[in-house]
Amino acid sequence: MGIDVGKFLKNPEYEIKITTFRDIFQVEAQERDRFGKDYEKLSACIVMSKNDMEKMGLKPGDRVKVANNNGSIVVEVRESKRDEPGGVAFMVNSPWSNVLVSDDTGGKGLPDFKNITAKISLVKEEITSLESLMEYFRKLKQV
Amino acid sequence: MSTCPGCALLCDDIEVVVESGRIKETRNACRRGAARIKGCINRLAPTIDQKPSDIESAIKKAAGILKDSKSPMLFGFSNSTCEAQVKGIQLAKKLGAMIDDTSSFCQGLLIEKILQKKFRTCTLEDVRNKADVLVYWGSDAQDSQPRHLSRFSYFPRGESRQRGYEEDRIAIAIDVRESNTAKICKGHFYRIQPKGDREFILALIDALSGKVPAYEPKKILELAAILKKAEFGVIFVGIGLTYSIKEDFDILVSLADKLPNFQIMPMVGHYNMRGFNENLFKETGFVNRVRFHDTAVHDDKYSIIEALREKSIDALLVAGSDPLSSLTRSLIRHLASIPVICIDPCVTMTSKIAAVTIPCAVSGVESGGTAVRMDGKKIGLSKIIESDYLTDEELLVRLMGAL
Repeated sequence: MGIDVGKFLKNPEYEIKITTFRDIFQVEAQERDRFGKDYEKLSACIVMSKNDMEKMGLKPGDRVKVANNNGSIVVEVRESKRDEPGGVAFMVNSPWSNVLVSDDTGGKGLPDFKNITAKISLVKEEITSLESLMEYFRKLKQV
Repeated sequence: MSTCPGCALLCDDIEVVVESGRIKETRNACRRGAARIKGCINRLAPTIDQKPSDIESAIKKAAGILKDSKSPMLFGFSNSTCEAQVKGIQLAKKLGAMIDDTSSFCQGLLIEKILQKKFRTCTLEDVRNKADVLVYWGSDAQDSQPRHLSRFSYFPRGESRQRGYEEDRIAIAIDVRESNTAKICKGHFYRIQPKGDREFILALIDALSGKVPAYEPKKILELAAILKKAEFGVIFVGIGLTYSIKEDFDILVSLADKLPNFQIMPMVGHYNMRGFNENLFKETGFVNRVRFHDTAVHDDKYSIIEALREKSIDALLVAGSDPLSSLTRSLIRHLASIPVICIDPCVTMTSKIAAVTIPCAVSGVESGGTAVRMDGKKIGLSKIIESDYLTDEELLVRLMGAL
């Protein structure tokens, strides 16, 4: 019986630039119930160009880990319905995107919420839930 | 007709159908506004240390926390009426506290310059009646202020613009992303790279000065030609532009100087963020990031971001905001180590870790008052339905009393 070498190999990581945007449907869901499934579904995702997805071997609905020195999240990949040239991915502004934002402001009090650099890779892990983000804060409180 | 507290457009043409004291339906409101008026499903309840309590005990406990604090901060107020904001400023003064609001990491930079009269600006009625060239820069109004284009800027007929968008108006979008607003600006969408706004502005200034710009000369010269011909142009400055040029914001003043027929308008999300900026400016000469001592002192270190980063506050009162949701995760570490008092109509991420939660009425739905629209016009808010909840203004007054 041969050894499945593939399962020991790490999925390739790609560097990606991310900018955040507002989505009226996500804002509506937040107004109604920020702990609801709709808000989570509309927030825990990354929108990419078809080109970038092909280059990185990603399909719509895939789960990806997006990580940098500030934190790490698992979100769903969505293909942009627009004619995007690629090179930049998009996340709705939310507690998920905020995990990736640096607090280094040069003392000016204004982080780069819309200018994120991160590594992206295909994973099988569950999508990061709002509850798991809350759990992080609760643990901090216990320390 | 009622006023919508969904965003800083404060649309005052909303019809609300109320049946048996409950909101059944809204008419004319956008998706965002309708959701705000209909309300959240998780109303906040009074708690102390996350255990059920009553309003009086919660207020008493909150007063105790603020009294014991050596370095408290009051934060939020962008979803509060002007009347509540004034009380919040009075409370900060009484406590010798820091006070800051969401504009500190949003449009504060721009609104400060507008209040200091560094830019020409106008009202949204001026836009509707006169504007012929509309520039949405780093702003997706369609998703953030969804009735902006239909009520005021692109689609309506105005006094001097009887042919509306079909002939009389040009809408331009400058953005990193082809937003829903950019899709409407067909043929006039200028895509830039993240943080590319400065380079774009410099090229545009060159083109407006009769020089050939170094960056995308054909596109920039074409845009400069449209802007030069404008009779009454408006640049709607979105958060995308503000964030991108935050290190060199005066560059926008330089561009505005080259465009004498243009007005600058901030695109504001929270319904009364500008109200807070104007109220604090009137009291102190600053729009945010203030500490009251003998006098009001303004410093970047009094911003919520720097105060959390430097761990310089030992108690935080949050009114109508959810910093746990809207701040970077690394900043929130300090929040977990200090007592937080949360005043809000709804359960939020912040309320779930707060030492004290105090529920309030939804302003503009369960209580009236005044708010300031994104263009600086004061608008009355309606009380649409009765409720037993105290307003945030009443709660702040009681809190001051308990001190």
